[in-house]
Amino acid sequence: MHPIPRTDRAAGGTGKTPHAGVEFVFDRSWVDELAERAARNGPWDDWTLFQLAVEAERAKLVTSFDELQALRCLPAFEPMPHQIATARKVLREMGGRAILADEVGLGKTIEAGLILKEYIVRGLVRRALILVPASLVLQWVRELNQKFGIPATAQKKAHTWHADFVVASIDTAKREPHRELLLSRDYDMLIVDEAHKLKNKKTSNYQFIQQLRKKYCLLLTATPVQNDMDELFNLITLLKPGQLGGQSEFVANFVADKRLPKNEDRLQEALSAVMIRNRRSDGGISFTKRIVRNIEVKLSPEEKALYDAVTGFVRQRYDESGRDLASMLSLVTLQREVCSSRDAVFVTLFNLFKKTAEDSPLRVKMWELIEFIRRVRANSKAEKAIELIRETGDKTIIFTEYRATQEYLLQFLKEHGVIAVPYRGGMNRGKKDWMMDLFRGRAQVLVATEAGGEGINLQFCHHMINFDLPWNPMRVEQRIGRVHRLGQTNDVKIYNLYTTGTIEEHIVRLLHEKINLFEMVVGELDDILERLEREEQPLEQKLARLVLESEGDADIRRGIDALGRSINRLRADAKRSPKPAYDRILPVLSVVPEADAAAEVRP
Amino acid sequence: MNAKQIHRFVERYLEATGCAILEKSPAHFKVKLSPAADRELTNRPYYWSFVDRTGAEPETMTLLLVTDSAKYDAMTAGPGGSETSAQAGTSGAAEQAGMAALSRSFGFVPAGLGARMPRDDLYFGSRRLEQLFAAARRGGRYVCLFQQPDERALHPYDSMPCTPWLGVNVKVGFVCDMKREEMHAFGVSLATGAVVEQFFDRLHGMKLTPRLPANVHVTGASLSLKKAADLIEQTLMKKLKACDYGWAAAASERLKEELAQLAHYYEPLLASADEAERERIAAQYEARKEEIRWQLKPRVVTEVVSAGLFHLTGLA
Repeated sequence: MHPIPRTDRAAGGTGKTPHAGVEFVFDRSWVDELAERAARNGPWDDWTLFQLAVEAERAKLVTSFDELQALRCLPAFEPMPHQIATARKVLREMGGRAILADEVGLGKTIEAGLILKEYIVRGLVRRALILVPASLVLQWVRELNQKFGIPATAQKKAHTWHADFVVASIDTAKREPHRELLLSRDYDMLIVDEAHKLKNKKTSNYQFIQQLRKKYCLLLTATPVQNDMDELFNLITLLKPGQLGGQSEFVANFVADKRLPKNEDRLQEALSAVMIRNRRSDGGISFTKRIVRNIEVKLSPEEKALYDAVTGFVRQRYDESGRDLASMLSLVTLQREVCSSRDAVFVTLFNLFKKTAEDSPLRVKMWELIEFIRRVRANSKAEKAIELIRETGDKTIIFTEYRATQEYLLQFLKEHGVIAVPYRGGMNRGKKDWMMDLFRGRAQVLVATEAGGEGINLQFCHHMINFDLPWNPMRVEQRIGRVHRLGQTNDVKIYNLYTTGTIEEHIVRLLHEKINLFEMVVGELDDILERLEREEQPLEQKLARLVLESEGDADIRRGIDALGRSINRLRADAKRSPKPAYDRILPVLSVVPEADAAAEVRP
Repeated sequence: MNAKQIHRFVERYLEATGCAILEKSPAHFKVKLSPAADRELTNRPYYWSFVDRTGAEPETMTLLLVTDSAKYDAMTAGPGGSETSAQAGTSGAAEQAGMAALSRSFGFVPAGLGARMPRDDLYFGSRRLEQLFAAARRGGRYVCLFQQPDERALHPYDSMPCTPWLGVNVKVGFVCDMKREEMHAFGVSLATGAVVEQFFDRLHGMKLTPRLPANVHVTGASLSLKKAADLIEQTLMKKLKACDYGWAAAASERLKEELAQLAHYYEPLLASADEAERERIAAQYEARKEEIRWQLKPRVVTEVVSAGLFHLTGLA
């Protein structure tokens, strides 16, 4: 016999407010329910759960507008100071609408995840849409789940759109029937990765993003401006129309020429209200060391004979062709492949053979070369590589430029009882992921032909063998970048295999001793290579010419020395001259943590 | 919440929901869930609707809940633990391969999905703990309790009067693009209309039971719940009026600036647009304004976490 309190119909808000201009709603949804239960004498909930619920709510209470709450929820993971500083600035000063424009490799994903997590913890974001290139969908899902405990789902079927946190490819999202569904919803937060694809306001991507309804919005790009100033205007206007004024105003105020800004200080100020750009050179971001060892490999007499024969063949053809470099590139490849494996030379030679007319005298010469190939029984480099792998006993990644060498190495390692898996550009996404999983798990060695492209993050491995070196230093840097990146906790050991008495020896000398590539600050290299190209021709072509035209070893050596000198001169120039114009206007966020960082909430 | 508090929280949840604790240490629980807890925690709606419809005997799941992963790992890495982990290693290889395949396809698979005894590390912010929080909230919204009088003080033929109180936990959010929260616990005497704060701290130490104890009778309520809710709202409003609204003023100011910026961009655009374009631009302008208000408009929102009727002998 419980007392039954009388109740009237629960009314809505009273329209009163505790402060002028502040909306107020008093939650009355419980009144009817409680009265109903009282009238029926139950069912009643458990007293312990009632108390636990209050305790839980108290623990989750967001007691301050300012402090980052997300940090105490991430025990498994420690963001870097510049990432925390970025998140704080986006939350406090930008109101959750920002362009994250860090240079490559500084963790824009982490920053976005941190910001998203903070809004989730504060109960300000319940539903978010994350649009990324198709190849990055799974990686985003993984990072958000593993690092941030955000239950993000990859969009696969129509119904996955209804999940609270969906990661999808922008190309899928903008197509019907998805488009209509997404445009009919409200998203508390929208994140767009690789947002430099949104520079042209006439594209369907741009217009789609513009039409989505969102409260908070993060656009991620390492290159907010590449070609002309309009791109910058479009990107900013997508995020915050009017931030740079109208189109004509922008042109009048900030554009000297299509590609040249003016009033740089004012422009930078306007940008810094919506954009954050951390740079590697800002300091405060520390990487582990790179330890480089050049490992000399002596060719067997058979290999040496093959090398000399190929070199002779290539030179002769070059002279015959009237020194036309463009048509000679496949021959230069031959010359480089011969330093890698006989399999690689064979494939290229075979293809050349097929293309040559049947009655051509060249066919005879090629046949002779194949005879040389046949005589080679062992690969001295592969033997050295397996020695290294056994020595380290650890996960190792081997990079080669050539498919045939990759196949050979996989076979070779298998014969020697080392578990190895391949990785190459042509694999589809699923297969690449599978290979990564195998390498992370059972396999000791990954043999890769491709270093570029997103998605291979190999922080768990810190031994890297350059089985052959690309002639383009950027590709070398890309290889190293897979392993030597944020999150790598060990010093990275890089082994460059080079064969003595061949062109490789000179390449290693140039890249390592002359321009000290392996220890260069990332970012510096792009700048130098760009300058080099602007002056004459790409480094790769210079090297090719050098190899084809020089008379003997001493001549090559002189040529390499000269190249090294000119690169170092450019490097000195790069240091002296002011930064490129675009770079100057982009805002900089100091990565030095603010004084109150010490007061951060931690469990 | 630190590891110890989490441990205590989990233990009380498991006990309250009638789960069978198979094994425990200060760092973990191995627990066979009760049907009620299984419905809340294992996310198996199809299974449970099958059980409900066929009346089959339910098979609940067993979970490994780790409240202090460092300590637990150290514990299981010892000589006793290595055996079980080796076992898990052999039987787990195929399972692991399966998980890897799933994770390649979906990007991420929650740890332990499909495993016999999934392990969950419970730290503040972890998904499983969030789930326990939510489960506690769902399972502890409305109570009706009676204070058990001190038995020695009571004459066997006496009956003690007790007064009905309405207790309400309210979460208040001060929201613009950012948010701050407060928790309030109000109690209203349904007899007198008196309102007290920190009501739940007052209940601390009282013996409360869901059944009407012997020797206790309930005095009538003169206030309706609706009226009591009004009193709570009034009291809350009085408190809220005294709060600092600097944040709201700043947010309003920003809102005004942002709207002005939008106007500055869109109005010339609208003026110069032709008929066909104008509609599209106007729609876009409206949408942007809506977003900005959604983001910045200062507001105070309230959310009642739980409410209950408490019959107390001590408070009038």
